[in-house]
Amino acid sequence: MRVALIRVALVAVLLGIWELIGRTANPLLYVPPSAAVPALGRLLRLESYPDLGEHLLLTVREIVVAYAMAIAAGLGCGFALGLNRLVGRAYGPILAALYAVPAVVWYPSLMLFFGLDAASKIAFGFLLGFFPITLAVLAGIRQVNTQLVTVARAFGASGLTVFRKVMLPSMLFTLVGGLRTGLALTVIGVIVGEVLGSKAGMGSLINHAYGLFRTADYVALVLVTLVLIVGSDAIATLVEHRAQRWTE
Amino acid sequence: MRILQLVSIAVILGAWEAVARAGWVDPLFVPAPSAVAYAFAKVAASAFAGLGDTLAKTAIAYVLSVVLGVAGGVLLGSVRPVRQAVNPFVIALYGMPKILVLPWIVLMLGFGTLPAVVYGTIHGVFPILVLVTGAVRDVDRSLLTVARAFGARRWQLYWKVVLPAIVPTVLVGMRLGLVFCLLGVLIVEMFAGVRGMGHVMSSLANGFQAPELFAATALVSAASIVIVLSLDALNDRLSHWRGDVR
Repeated sequence: MRVALIRVALVAVLLGIWELIGRTANPLLYVPPSAAVPALGRLLRLESYPDLGEHLLLTVREIVVAYAMAIAAGLGCGFALGLNRLVGRAYGPILAALYAVPAVVWYPSLMLFFGLDAASKIAFGFLLGFFPITLAVLAGIRQVNTQLVTVARAFGASGLTVFRKVMLPSMLFTLVGGLRTGLALTVIGVIVGEVLGSKAGMGSLINHAYGLFRTADYVALVLVTLVLIVGSDAIATLVEHRAQRWTE
Repeated sequence: MRILQLVSIAVILGAWEAVARAGWVDPLFVPAPSAVAYAFAKVAASAFAGLGDTLAKTAIAYVLSVVLGVAGGVLLGSVRPVRQAVNPFVIALYGMPKILVLPWIVLMLGFGTLPAVVYGTIHGVFPILVLVTGAVRDVDRSLLTVARAFGARRWQLYWKVVLPAIVPTVLVGMRLGLVFCLLGVLIVEMFAGVRGMGHVMSSLANGFQAPELFAATALVSAASIVIVLSLDALNDRLSHWRGDVR
């Protein structure tokens, strides 16, 4: 209770300082909360950006497509590498080395190849989401107790049964964690792609508002985008809790 | 194993070269490896200059991240009320995509070195801060009690008990933080750079100079892989020296 009070007080103090600085400073650079709230209202009433809905929808669509592809490729790659020792030992280190490269270095090439439309954002979101999912599958497979697999096999369980009854329960927790990280990174990838160069989507609106020094609108757009991000994470958390309960 | 790795890389490069030579892909978008290698000679001067610039900014951002992250982590980890009040915000900021504040940072700090260093630091500091906070919080209580019972002063507690205990975590954080710092610096250079590797790459992309762009991408990737792997090797050395069981 007291901790919650302190947290609320902390937020209030920070907002107060922000308001004070914002009122005295150049309005092109600082936007006090008292100006950000009306800007948010204008944005939500579709006055400042009438086509907000379309841009928001496009961003969501890009995220969904990229994430679906990342799941499919990540699970496929992960199981291919994890279940086959030779393949895993040969290509696992290459994958790990590529993961050490800051992903944004691939973005100019993707932009050149796929153009400024949705495809390059989907490709970048896919790329960011793919790695954590693959690595989570690999880590999960390593967690499976090989003795359990052997015993199940000895009692005549088929490959599919072993997978469903023995492997999946013991690796599910790690797997779902990886899927959640993958979603967060896919969302970031799509938005980074949109900010760095695009014609539509939330990132392009943010870039537009920034380019015209419409700083209040920029803050409002960031708040709307944050809701999208936090919402996607909340869904992922829900799924994670479900999976946790199922394993226990 | 090495042989299989090398062979598959050679096969991929060979197939790519064949496909590009056969004209199945537009060389404007997918240049052959030989064209990339040839282009490398052309962009080498500007690419190495850009890389040096980027790595210098990354180094500053990295030092700042490590210092701020470790200091903040020790503070948050050892003072419980501060941790309870501030930690949820730290976690939230860690998870928030920093790209959203990038335009504001560029508005405030302009184009050039400063925004890149600041943005790189914002990327690098959080993983270190979060990890160190956890490590300091979880330092074995009995060690602290014993040290106190033997009359250790406060600074001695930190210097002799807490710091040695968190070294492995700090190293893990430093490895994570390095890639994040480089990422942050590159993003700023691509978004609003006038110098550096990110700027070189985005101008090559805008100029549709695919072979040069691929060469530059390969150079940065190779550089970051080398840096991270050598950090890993150093880490291994250190953990041998500490006598860790891995």
